[in-house]
Amino acid sequence: MNLIRKDIILLKKTMLVLLAILCVYLLLDFSSIWVGILCSIVISMSAFTLDEKTSIHLLLNSLPYTRKEIVSSKYVVAVFFTILIAVTTYIGTVIIHGEMLAWKEPLFIVAVVMAILSFVFPFCYKFKSHYLMMAGIGLVALYLLTVTFVIQDLNDRIRWFVKLLLNSNSTAEYIIIGVSVILLYIGSGVVSLRIYKQKWL
Amino acid sequence: MQDENVIELQSVSKSFEGFSLRDFSLKVKKGYVTGFIGGNGVGKSTTIKLMMNLLQPDSGTVSVFGLNYKDHEKDIKQRIGFVFAEDVFYEHLTLAEIKAIVRNAYVKWDDEVFEKYVSMFRLPLTKKMNTFSKGMRMKASLSIALSHHAELIIMDEPTSGLDPIFRRELLDLLHELLQDGDKSIFFSTHITSDLATIADYVTFIHDGKHMFTKDFQEIEEEYAIVKGGLDLLDQETEREFLAVRKMPYGFEALTSDKQRTQLVFGDMVLYEKPTLEDIMYFTKKGEMVIC
Repeated sequence: MNLIRKDIILLKKTMLVLLAILCVYLLLDFSSIWVGILCSIVISMSAFTLDEKTSIHLLLNSLPYTRKEIVSSKYVVAVFFTILIAVTTYIGTVIIHGEMLAWKEPLFIVAVVMAILSFVFPFCYKFKSHYLMMAGIGLVALYLLTVTFVIQDLNDRIRWFVKLLLNSNSTAEYIIIGVSVILLYIGSGVVSLRIYKQKWL
Repeated sequence: MQDENVIELQSVSKSFEGFSLRDFSLKVKKGYVTGFIGGNGVGKSTTIKLMMNLLQPDSGTVSVFGLNYKDHEKDIKQRIGFVFAEDVFYEHLTLAEIKAIVRNAYVKWDDEVFEKYVSMFRLPLTKKMNTFSKGMRMKASLSIALSHHAELIIMDEPTSGLDPIFRRELLDLLHELLQDGDKSIFFSTHITSDLATIADYVTFIHDGKHMFTKDFQEIEEEYAIVKGGLDLLDQETEREFLAVRKMPYGFEALTSDKQRTQLVFGDMVLYEKPTLEDIMYFTKKGEMVIC
């Protein structure tokens, strides 16, 4: 809990700036889902990179915290910030556009962010976040190759899949997706902890 | 109280590429100041990190307050105050913000004590840490380390880079802290003169090995710098010394068994009290003959 409070103290200004940016994008009528996902990832990664310096690891590990608490707090904080952004997106859309978003949209934001971070966090614990840029460039290259040579209508398929998910009325499907994402996120936490326990300070 | 150890390292080994601590055992007595000396890269910081569970030993055991980290990590850390040579605080935060973060971690955090030290050290609470000088950072670090009634203060090179006045003030402060007999202080330093001012015991580490832990009286009784003519040295007599420095006009050597050396050389040589620097210097040179 204290580590979560620490991240909130550290990121309160960044969070306010991001919420303002989020509102601007909503005013400009950008896709609320994608803006929400982007802002959530930015704030979650900010929370991660702030503690990434060796000297900060030295501080955190010298304070009465275990490595398990240090790693799990990052996962909890990311969910906290993502929910905050998803709720702001929901309320912002109601206030700015006078529309009620489907309840599924904020949940979709949370699920996508959790799924992405499930891969990003262990990567960053292993290689440090500045290698993420290189991994990102590699992924973009892979995406372009896929779109050009393998699945030319990949974007359409993604759009179709997202629509299908959001329009589905099957509770069972949502439960399966929700549970899968949660399990993926917990599994990611276990992997990150294992990596972090091996680290030298 | 003499028999109680606040820290115990038993047969600890830790290897890195190009450096290792081997079968390292050390006991730090409760209620005393133990100074930890050794050259650069001999394992001082590694030892401190092992004591604080920042590194796990490859083999051997580490216990603090008689407890192991596996089962009592948080309990142990609640009772330790730490000061590092490097800056470990968030640079873009003010001291007040750092305090807000750290205070929540400690059950026994005491705002009054913190304010006492902040006022004693004249630290600005609302300035960012990256505007603090080296001395101010050390004072801030110390204020935090002392504000949760820690029973053990572990400091890695706390006096390095400090001006002589603050160094003296710091040592006085640590001395004052020891008036509370339950507190123990373990600190590493390059500045051996600091130890004479404050340390009850000196622990000397060299090349990953624990050479000794002794009080000043023991050092004075056992160690001596011996000076004499070169004609007194041969293969057999040289073995009496930890290291020998040969010069055109005579030799200078360090013995760790003053009584025995006196029996061997009698009045033919001069005996001088060695400084800790002498002991470090001669030990570093080791078995090799210095010309």
